[in-house]
Amino acid sequence: MMGNLLEHMGIEKDRVHFSWISSAEATKFVDVVKEISDKVRAIGPNTKFVKDYI
Amino acid sequence: MTEKNTKIVAFLCNWCSYGAADLAGVSRMQYPADTRVIRIPCTGRMSPKFILSALREGADAVWVSG
Amino acid sequence: MNTCINKIREIASKLLENGEVEKVIGFANGTIPMATSPVVINSKQDVDKLVFNSTCGLNLANYVRNQKGKVAVIAKGCDSRNIVTHIVENQVKRDQIHIIGVPCTGMINKKKIEALFGDDIIEFTEDGDTLNVKSSTREETLNKKEYLRDNCTLCMHRNPVVYDDLAGDLVQEQTLENPYPDVDRIEAMDADAKWQHFQELTQNCIRCYACRNACPLCYCPTCFVDESGPQWVGKGQNKTDVDTFHFLRAFHCAGRCTDCGACVEACPMDINVRDFTRKLNKDSFEMFGWEAGLDITKRPPLDVYSPGDPNAFIK
Repeated sequence: MMGNLLEHMGIEKDRVHFSWISSAEATKFVDVVKEISDKVRAIGPNTKFVKDYI
Repeated sequence: MTEKNTKIVAFLCNWCSYGAADLAGVSRMQYPADTRVIRIPCTGRMSPKFILSALREGADAVWVSG
Repeated sequence: MNTCINKIREIASKLLENGEVEKVIGFANGTIPMATSPVVINSKQDVDKLVFNSTCGLNLANYVRNQKGKVAVIAKGCDSRNIVTHIVENQVKRDQIHIIGVPCTGMINKKKIEALFGDDIIEFTEDGDTLNVKSSTREETLNKKEYLRDNCTLCMHRNPVVYDDLAGDLVQEQTLENPYPDVDRIEAMDADAKWQHFQELTQNCIRCYACRNACPLCYCPTCFVDESGPQWVGKGQNKTDVDTFHFLRAFHCAGRCTDCGACVEACPMDINVRDFTRKLNKDSFEMFGWEAGLDITKRPPLDVYSPGDPNAFIK
């Protein structure tokens, strides 16, 4: 639901990921890291919710 | 964006995904180095505040894994 | 509504006289027309202070917590659902409150009426579905149905869901083809347009927290915006902090919000903060078939695990 509300506010869906990996699933971990990295690189840097310290 | 400066904040459960990350390391598996891992005692420690804080402080994405 | 207030006063004075309750929480006239404020009545003599009309938009469920002894509270449909939420969340016991249910035909949008007049409104009366509004220069008769608040036009639970006494006949519930047209409109936008919409929505926010204080769901002893160790949200007018506040305030109401409209009613800057909570209401209805505060025996969906919970978002 949190992901949905962020998306509703206009944050891209691929900015927040959830997964479930057991401690024995190193291969799944690597797959998920690759998948997430690819998706985030595809949407580019986050500009929307970043606090501007001036 | 270059590969170097993508920042993904990963909140990993101590007992599940953190173990998996450890095992991946021990097994010498190769994976992208964009993630910055924060170990949490359990995914139940997770709070929406953490996700918003991470985004606010400039993370490109947040990953929560149990 | 005139007969209804007589009934309310009658019930209230009977309860106070018999000593069944120590206080009655209701509405009293404010200092200007079209404004009513919550009031606590302790004795039978003050019962005439109580009023009930289409300007009683605040949510009295907010005041039933932390009361000593038994209290009676006047509850519209949405108020009664919030009382149910309070009972489910162990904020109050069912036998501590005496609910005087009032079937409700909607509350009016004061800002919309004020916008019709260039000057101050000096008198406001209503009779059934017609509103008589008088300003210093002119007088108008309005149809109440056209001046309802947005949440009241989309309300599906006008009758109280739980009550001990009823101060009027039950009204016909609305049947709506699509209860969430406002959410659908935003969902149809693309990511940038959505972001733009919410940026414009919150740009006037002055961080007065009136929406939080008016909300019956917001009862944490220390709100996340007031926490200082660690401090999660900056306290200034930084746009990101303002957005964080609105986002988290709404998210804390997920699966609990009854869309009573008290937050919008309380906002001094006319921000429609319901745009945030409505999406969560729609989601909890679509994902869990849940509408808050309808059943005293059921736990809210984000409170319990069930194997049928949607889990498409987890990889």
